[in-house]
Amino acid sequence: MRTTAPAGNLASTGVVPGFPATGRVAARASTYLALAAALVIWLALLGPFAVLIQHLSFHSIRAALGPPGALGPLWISLGASAIALGAMMLFGTPLAYLLARGRLPLARLVELGIMLPLMMPPLVIGLLLIFLIGPEGTLGNLLADIHLTGVNTFFALVVAEFYEAAPFFVLGAYAAFASVDPRIEQDATLLGDRPLQAFWRITLPLAAPGLATGLATAWARAMGAFGAVIIVAYYPRGLPNQIFIAFQEYGLTGALPFALLLVVAALPLPVLAYLWSARNRARVAGVEAP
Amino acid sequence: MSAASPRLLEVDLEVDRRQVSVEACFSLEAGDRLAIFGTSGAGKTTILESIAGLTHLRRGTIRVEGHLVAGKVKGEPVLEPRHRQVALVRQPTTLFPHLTVEQNVGYGVRQSSARRRVAELLERLGLTVLARARGATLSGGQRQRVALGRALASSFRVLLLDEPLSAVDVAAREALRLLTIETSVARGAAGILVTHDLTEAQAYSDRIGIIDSGQLLQVGGSLEVVLSPTSRRVAELVGYGGFVRSQAGADRWHAIHPDRVLPSALPERGVVLTGSVLSTRPYGARYECTVADRSGEQFTIHLDEPLEVGVECTVTAIDPPLVGA
Repeated sequence: MRTTAPAGNLASTGVVPGFPATGRVAARASTYLALAAALVIWLALLGPFAVLIQHLSFHSIRAALGPPGALGPLWISLGASAIALGAMMLFGTPLAYLLARGRLPLARLVELGIMLPLMMPPLVIGLLLIFLIGPEGTLGNLLADIHLTGVNTFFALVVAEFYEAAPFFVLGAYAAFASVDPRIEQDATLLGDRPLQAFWRITLPLAAPGLATGLATAWARAMGAFGAVIIVAYYPRGLPNQIFIAFQEYGLTGALPFALLLVVAALPLPVLAYLWSARNRARVAGVEAP
Repeated sequence: MSAASPRLLEVDLEVDRRQVSVEACFSLEAGDRLAIFGTSGAGKTTILESIAGLTHLRRGTIRVEGHLVAGKVKGEPVLEPRHRQVALVRQPTTLFPHLTVEQNVGYGVRQSSARRRVAELLERLGLTVLARARGATLSGGQRQRVALGRALASSFRVLLLDEPLSAVDVAAREALRLLTIETSVARGAAGILVTHDLTEAQAYSDRIGIIDSGQLLQVGGSLEVVLSPTSRRVAELVGYGGFVRSQAGADRWHAIHPDRVLPSALPERGVVLTGSVLSTRPYGARYECTVADRSGEQFTIHLDEPLEVGVECTVTAIDPPLVGA
């Protein structure tokens, strides 16, 4: 009499129905290859951080950052980046939302305008900013009327950081809002919400993980902005400028403590934002957070 | 003499869709339940979305309790969706994925005194144990229950249901349907269900509108539209399985419904048909046979006993409606 083999028999022979032996070997090999590739990329990306730690000594850090006023560039960079980030959120969030909902005329042209600073070399942006907000420019003249100068001022530093970092936030926010089904917003308004209420109660919480990622990227870019900054805001000296000047004057050992300072100041927010964002994405997607 | 009070919902609309223009004209009183039945893409959802304010009209007006909610009438303001007192259950189901089941159901409840309603609804929907679960973790059937609960908990005078129970187990549908009807009646509301399932339409509503290619072809009682279709297309849509030429006129046809056939010649019950059996196959607990009459017209019938292929059979179509070509 023929009977069906129990499941245990199949397991003990190592035969998996539907997968021929050669296919299993190929699948295993491709998994190992993918893991190896991931490890190589991961090590390559982390390499500079490892070198930074390796080449720093407590003595060199104390010598560079110990003197009074040595942390000045840090406070300048933090202040300018925070203001630039605030401006991005204030102006960039509505723009990103309207773009994501297709409510802007000539949307493709607007998108191109947002991406343009990304495509241009930062040095070129710096040069063009001098024409735009420098004392010789039309806008510069208008700014002079309200006692703002677009070259070598804190204001100029904020503007330069804004130009280098804003596209990262706006494009990130655009993707975040586009990922929220507009029908869910409509449901909220049908249940009695005003459009702004629906935005606060539904759209913002659902887009928050993506917004946080965009904000974190923009923060890191603003803190590290250098190309445009060195042209329009050599002074007041922010951290990237300080690294460059220390490198020129004292070489690598003089620059590395400031590089560490920049990494320590710029990275926590993006890392926290990434972790929070991953946790919330998992929560909304209905799976347990890692 | 005072003017007649307005009906709860008055619809006269024309909406442009990609492939068809959707046209509909009907009105509902408090307590009325209308089902709009048709195939996919016929324009059913468009009618609901127009009433809810999610689609613009090309022409016409929609009024809720006499207030203009859509369309253009000089001197009358149009109400925003949140003021229309309309609740909508959509297909595919949309929930707030970051909120719990309880928060979803209670989303539209503004008064704290109405909070008890949410707890009651959760219980009747079988969702009490899932009250703390997030929308994103639910199965299709559970999502539909939550969406239904969210609509029923809100303040509405018009309830719009787009295939609300399609993913719910058949065994649980009756209880949910009853809950929907009870809640609707208690609020003095009118309801519209759109579906492509005729039995679902009949179970929910007292009237059915048959829609095809954007046109509301016939509106009538839930049995009337099946027993007395006004056109061949309506007959096809409500399940007639064939048409045989009538003696009444050249362009008149008897519509043969597969379930309204007796397996013998009974002229007092309807029209006696003779033909040869082309095919026989199981159909649930019965058999479905395709028969061709002497002029070659084919029709389908459902019988308790199978007919042998090739044999000649005589059956009676019970009072078959007459339709045009």
